[in-house]
Amino acid sequence: MSRLTEIPIRIEPALPAGGLGGGVAAILSELANLLQRLADVQECATIDVRSLPMSPQDRIALQHALGEGEVQATLDAQGLSSIRETRVPGIWWVEHRDRDGELMAESIEVTRMPQILMSDTDEIAAGARALRAQITASPAARTRPQMP
Amino acid sequence: MDLLGFARGPALKVAIAIFCLGVAWRIVGFGLLRIRRDLNKPRAPIAKYLVGGLVTVGSRSWPHREFIGRTGAGEALGYSYHLGLFAVVLLFGPHIAFLGSLFGITWPGLPSSLITVISVLTLTLFVAVLFRRVTNPVMRMLSNFDDYFSWLVTMLVLVTGLAATAHLSAPYQTLLALHILSVDLLLVWFPFGKLMHAFYIFPSRALNGAILARKGATS
Amino acid sequence: MTAPANSEITVGEMLRRHGISRRGFIKYCSAAASAMALPPSMGVAMAERLRNAPRPSVVYLSFQECTGCLESLTRSFAPTIENLIFNIISLDYDDTLMAAAGDAAESARNKAMQDNFGKYVLLVDGSIPTGAGGGYCTAGGRSAVDTLREAAKGAAAIVCVGTCSAFGGIPFADPNPTGAWPVTAIVGDKPIINVSGCPPIPEVITGTLLQFVTTGKVPDLDEHLRPKVFFGNTIHDRCYRRPFFDEGKFAKSFDDEGARNGWCLYELGCKGPTTYNACATLKWNGGTSFPIESGHGCLGCSEPGFWDKGSFYAAQSAAAWGKAGESAPLQVLKLTAAAAAAGAVLGTASAGVSRLRQHRSEQHAGDRESKGE
Repeated sequence: MSRLTEIPIRIEPALPAGGLGGGVAAILSELANLLQRLADVQECATIDVRSLPMSPQDRIALQHALGEGEVQATLDAQGLSSIRETRVPGIWWVEHRDRDGELMAESIEVTRMPQILMSDTDEIAAGARALRAQITASPAARTRPQMP
Repeated sequence: MDLLGFARGPALKVAIAIFCLGVAWRIVGFGLLRIRRDLNKPRAPIAKYLVGGLVTVGSRSWPHREFIGRTGAGEALGYSYHLGLFAVVLLFGPHIAFLGSLFGITWPGLPSSLITVISVLTLTLFVAVLFRRVTNPVMRMLSNFDDYFSWLVTMLVLVTGLAATAHLSAPYQTLLALHILSVDLLLVWFPFGKLMHAFYIFPSRALNGAILARKGATS
Repeated sequence: MTAPANSEITVGEMLRRHGISRRGFIKYCSAAASAMALPPSMGVAMAERLRNAPRPSVVYLSFQECTGCLESLTRSFAPTIENLIFNIISLDYDDTLMAAAGDAAESARNKAMQDNFGKYVLLVDGSIPTGAGGGYCTAGGRSAVDTLREAAKGAAAIVCVGTCSAFGGIPFADPNPTGAWPVTAIVGDKPIINVSGCPPIPEVITGTLLQFVTTGKVPDLDEHLRPKVFFGNTIHDRCYRRPFFDEGKFAKSFDDEGARNGWCLYELGCKGPTTYNACATLKWNGGTSFPIESGHGCLGCSEPGFWDKGSFYAAQSAAAWGKAGESAPLQVLKLTAAAAAAGAVLGTASAGVSRLRQHRSEQHAGDRESKGE
């Protein structure tokens, strides 16, 4: 039985450049079709990135292909999530992370705006009530933020 | 106990026992038969005709020039699928693990994908062999139940083995169990049919060669 | 854990009370949908459906078990879990987790089962011993068999967590001294979902529960009543070391050159080819690793009878010669020698009979000759 210290550390060589190039092209072409449907009949769609068989190279290639757009939103709920519009209007890259920073879910949404960014109607109603309560409460309380 | 446990356990034990019993029975049985004593004077010293026997094993392993035209194809076919079978049985990783678990020794094998290719080729040759046996009028006349059943039993092992590695529609446990059961069947049938040629062929050629060499003939 | 079981409060309300926003909940449902290989739109749909649903009552009964399955469940990562799972469901009874004990705990359970009769989800871990009149596992003076039978009466569905409750597990292994049986042997008239594994992957437990709670329907099950979405593929089918198997590159012993290069562990006893579970895709500890990736072959722990299927370290294709303590080659040698000896005896007898016949027929011919025929 060898000792822990005797087990050599292997440095894995980097994966060859290029990866499965064809896979990225296929995804981009599907996104193009979905975007066309969004333009024509306002139909939204989502692709679960984690369900796609992609090498790490491919994922980076896909991100580069889509690029960065004008909007970057950070969602802080049970951990940080990032919702970014890509260079292509209507294609959004959504990453959900938990409180430990682990990636929980990753998707590409073809939509005018991802639903998760919109405020919830029930929460709006509850928020209105809370705001009114805050206004009628003490002057100090008016400036202290309160949970709805 | 599930099918796989049965196939690998009790069924295998019984099959191996029957195989050993049957092979020993037949070999001892014919070994102890009376040989008609040749009352002629030997034309060669003992050493020479024992060597003659060994030489015959080699010389009868390939047809003479005059006969190659007629028998060459059959011989080539036969050799090819035998080599294929040996390669698959002895050089496939899981088979080496199986035999290693029975006999305590292992040896290096071939890449599994190559074994798959060899298996498919062997399977094709097997089908060709049956086709030949059925279409060639002489062979058809000579063939009996033993020939066809021995073919079937070996074929089943090949087919179930390929099905298991290809993970065809049925669950893997079932396919593996069927493969091992077909091997059990092969082992049980082996000593009682023409498959015994595996044990007979070399002694038989050697004996013929020795007898002829004693008479002063070469062959 | 809330008491009394107030499943009139919707899931949405519960989340609000715990400061979990709709967005946080959508995140959780998206992750769960992704883990269950459902289309991403299902994540949002799940979130919407659950928010307006009353929290289903869940009763967790533990019998002859090691508590590993419950430990696994409470380690679920996807996502920050106990709060969420305990907000979506109303866990009305779990003797390990609940603060109450003794009569108070038992009466809470009975009340929950009564109030939600026909609607609660029954989670069971541990096998159920029937030996000694059920006396090998008793709690609160009642045997496991009786408790299970009674609890099953009002259950909407039973989820067997872990191989012990699904298939009998370790207590069921030879010689099964306590007469242990799986839940399916005791209860026959309720929908049963087996989430097997020793223990099951946390996300598989929560995912199955979430799927049932969201849809109200039992998911697609295989012939062992396991959800196909998690148990539909073998480890071998999804193993990242498969290319090595296909190339015939096997590690021969632990920590040898092949093992360090990450070669296939088939010859070291990996039961991946015959084991159905999600370990190779979902992995453990939030996707960190799984046994094969950490260098040890799969034990086949989500399959029935895995404790009795021969050595964990014998290759799957190895013969299953059972007697422990004696090496297989030695047993083979003994068997073949005995069989060959028996065969030799038969052979001698056959040859003897043949020679006798020859001798007799020669004698007979000699007699006829001498008679001048």
